[in-house]
Amino acid sequence: MSEGLVVIVRGIIGFFTLLIFARLFGKEQISQLTFFDYVLGITIGSIASELTVDLSSRAWPHWVGLATWAGLGFLLQLITLKWRYAAKYIEGEPTIVIMNGKIMESALKKMQLRVSDILELLRNKDVFDLQQVDFAILEPNGQLSVLKKPEHQYLTPKDMNIAVEATGISTELVYDGIIIEENLRQLNKDRKWLADELKKHGLKDPSEAFLVTLNPAGSLYVDKYEDHIKKITDIGDYKGPY
Amino acid sequence: MKRFLVMAIPVVTLIIFIMVMFSGDYLKQPLGTDDNIPQTIEAIIKSIEAENWESVETETLNLEAAWKKVVRRVQFSVERDEINYFTTSLARLQGAVLTKDKSSALIELKEAYSHWENLGR
Repeated sequence: MSEGLVVIVRGIIGFFTLLIFARLFGKEQISQLTFFDYVLGITIGSIASELTVDLSSRAWPHWVGLATWAGLGFLLQLITLKWRYAAKYIEGEPTIVIMNGKIMESALKKMQLRVSDILELLRNKDVFDLQQVDFAILEPNGQLSVLKKPEHQYLTPKDMNIAVEATGISTELVYDGIIIEENLRQLNKDRKWLADELKKHGLKDPSEAFLVTLNPAGSLYVDKYEDHIKKITDIGDYKGPY
Repeated sequence: MKRFLVMAIPVVTLIIFIMVMFSGDYLKQPLGTDDNIPQTIEAIIKSIEAENWESVETETLNLEAAWKKVVRRVQFSVERDEINYFTTSLARLQGAVLTKDKSSALIELKEAYSHWENLGR
């Protein structure tokens, strides 16, 4: 019996099963995970690792455990999606901890939070002065959402009646020296146009470019392989091995 | 077609995984003439009862060879402990055969058979 080979096969089973189950969960961002989602992830991962290396039992019971946890997680996700009442019960709801600039002591007590915790969360949001805060809401994922008082909010071009152009999303035209024909076609451009544009940036051939993107305003971003930067700024604060 | 593949690939993958995990119970069954564990055990028991120790010795070696073949097939879907227990019973059986200890040999054979039955279940 080759234990290494068995672990490889069971590892493949665990890895791809986890991948398939994870895709079932959809595109929930890690930063939006609630504490329960976090624990769920750890448990499922732990079962998958046991499936791989715990050769004292068959792979099947571990796999069933994995499927059960993933299935229940998926079921809970479906329930919270379809039934708002259950969602509030299972995932909790946002709690207002500062209202009209006043700290809600009873809410803090209920959430078992200290004022210092709220101050820390506020500092994470670049708020160092409580007087600037109009509303602060503790989200079910543990993050604090802050609404500053109007007089402390950032000035926007709209406030100043300044007309700004829409930025939009840039499209890649060359990546790693290779022209992305599909994107060129989508933008109704051709190779000749690209070659002319690159010539303006001092490039004889697209293969000299690492990345070329075009934004909706028609401005081209070109990054060459040869950057001609002699002295690279060192941002390290201590002399390490590199 | 693309949508079908998107659904079919994970489903087929999971089915293959389940089949691999359940294959032990089927793969332990004889696929040829020299890997029939229950039949070999049965033959050894008969030889022991007849006290034909020369034949017991040869059949024990056959059992060992058959077991090695079966282990190679079932190792991915059965628990290692059952494999280890069977191997241990086999080693003890060889000892009992050396000393021509009829009762010990029969005990080990029965135990080995029970481990074979539990394999992949």
